[in-house]
Amino acid sequence: MGKSNGKAMRSKDSYIFEVIITVLTCLIIILMLYPFYYILVNSFNEGRDTMLGSIFWWPRKFTLENYQYFFKEDVWIKSLLVSVIRTVLGTLLCVIFTCMVAYGLSKEDLTFRKGYYAVIILAMYFSGGLIPNYILLRSLNLLNSFLVYIVPTALDLFFILIAVSNFQSIPKELPESARLDGASENRIFWGIILPVSKPLLATMTLFTGVGQWNSWVDSAYYVSNDSLRTLSYRMIEVLNQASLPVSTYASGISSSNVTYLSVQMAAMIISTLPIMCVYPFLQKYFVSGIMLGAVKG
Amino acid sequence: MKAKKLWKRLKKEKTVQLYVLLGMVFLFVFKYIPMFGIIIAFKDYQLKTGIAGFFTSPWNHFKHFKEFFGFYRFAEILKNTLVISLWKLLFSLVMPLFLALVINEISNKALKRFAQTATYLPHFISWIIIAAISFTFFSQDNGVINHILIKLHMTKAALPFLSDPDYFYGMAVFTGTWKESGWWAIIYLSAMAGIDPGLYESADLDGATRLQKIKFITLPSILPSIVVVSILSIGSLLGGGLVGSNFEQCYLMGNNSNNGASEIIQTYAFKVGMLNARYDFATAIDLLQSLTSVILIFGSNAVSKKVTKQGLF
Repeated sequence: MGKSNGKAMRSKDSYIFEVIITVLTCLIIILMLYPFYYILVNSFNEGRDTMLGSIFWWPRKFTLENYQYFFKEDVWIKSLLVSVIRTVLGTLLCVIFTCMVAYGLSKEDLTFRKGYYAVIILAMYFSGGLIPNYILLRSLNLLNSFLVYIVPTALDLFFILIAVSNFQSIPKELPESARLDGASENRIFWGIILPVSKPLLATMTLFTGVGQWNSWVDSAYYVSNDSLRTLSYRMIEVLNQASLPVSTYASGISSSNVTYLSVQMAAMIISTLPIMCVYPFLQKYFVSGIMLGAVKG
Repeated sequence: MKAKKLWKRLKKEKTVQLYVLLGMVFLFVFKYIPMFGIIIAFKDYQLKTGIAGFFTSPWNHFKHFKEFFGFYRFAEILKNTLVISLWKLLFSLVMPLFLALVINEISNKALKRFAQTATYLPHFISWIIIAAISFTFFSQDNGVINHILIKLHMTKAALPFLSDPDYFYGMAVFTGTWKESGWWAIIYLSAMAGIDPGLYESADLDGATRLQKIKFITLPSILPSIVVVSILSIGSLLGGGLVGSNFEQCYLMGNNSNNGASEIIQTYAFKVGMLNARYDFATAIDLLQSLTSVILIFGSNAVSKKVTKQGLF
């Protein structure tokens, strides 16, 4: 009797607990997603009308004008293009170069292997910092060139370590049999090693891609040529305008209903969209990624 | 004889040696040359002398360090750096753990997955976007937060979140924690996934409540992860702990009106270096911060080894 009573109490306890957890979870989800939703809704609202405020759940005066303006305006569309190109090229270069170096190091009997490792570890823990880096880029004539976006980031040291252990876990028979058939090292790397390392390539692509897409310091300070500015940089420009009095900041652009703020919201959605589309599919690779981030801190 | 043998070996490995050597050349240029550049913290350096100037510039007897310590805003900048960092450290230790505990208790699989996906979304979004979002949210005219506060009668007039220095610490800590907690919760969640389900089953038989199971099984089981995360975050304390983005945050969300609270060592070094072109002075300030971080990570590792018998290295 007493026992069954206890059990009932426990299940009631557990029921309350379940409700609390579910409510808490929903609140957390709203807290995380609502800000993005708010921007989305407002980006589809007429710019001048948005300034009256109170648009929380649905556009009051629905319009596509803000997006049309974005895609019509040279400044925005060019910077979007620069962002896309730097992300694609920068990621490609980094993933391939990092894998090449890692493939060499994955050979246990490589001559000077220990020495190479020491060079890498040391470079991982010490860095020259902002200014010496700037001086270097300046001396190499990389400032004000598109290359400054993709060359200095061409090798990722932490991914080298990850890739080495990944390549070492590939069964030795695979490259060995190709070697017996007379395949060159180049062929083995491109034709066998890379194709069987797809999960590794996916993780590396995600993390370097997001890094490239989001980076802004290089665009803001290593480049002064206006045609090389990235989307992120344009966003900072608008951020700076946000500290102006609201009358200036929110004033319409030319005679349309579009305001700086409303275009900015459209731009925010456009620059968030690629990331939102990609990251949920790469969930399973996150755990290795986060350990990486942990060490990288 | 020996050299000949080595040569033969290298020749056999020529493709892979080439791969690795390309990497080494890259590292020498892009990582090691800047490391030598740190030396200008102790020198009078002029940009036009380029890389050679690292070595040829005259020493200046710690002039830059003396100047920084004597700077009238030194105490203020140090205070901002420490206060923001410590609050972020605290929240970045507590919130991800709390989030992981909540998510781990959800029994509906789809909801659990969705909650996880939603919480680490902001990690992938750049600080520029997050800053822009928070500008619209905390805005004094028509901002969502002010709207809610007024509706709830918690304030009469809209609060100047973005321009008043008094609000900056809170804003920085809140937005930083919001952005990164979900991401760091992944570490704890993966540790929780590794706990032996048998432990929970036998606790069920003993009639443990769910809170008791959290307290006596879940938390002790993930203690090693908590220790690792703590050491890492203390090591990166001055950069903002796990939230990590002190520089970007203070740089993007700081403005002339809240500068008294938003100027930290990193942003000051950045401005002095990149905007005022005082390269040597900025390098000295940067170096001070790096040294402090190294001391902190070795210190926290040593303490952790003593107290919990666990460390990173």
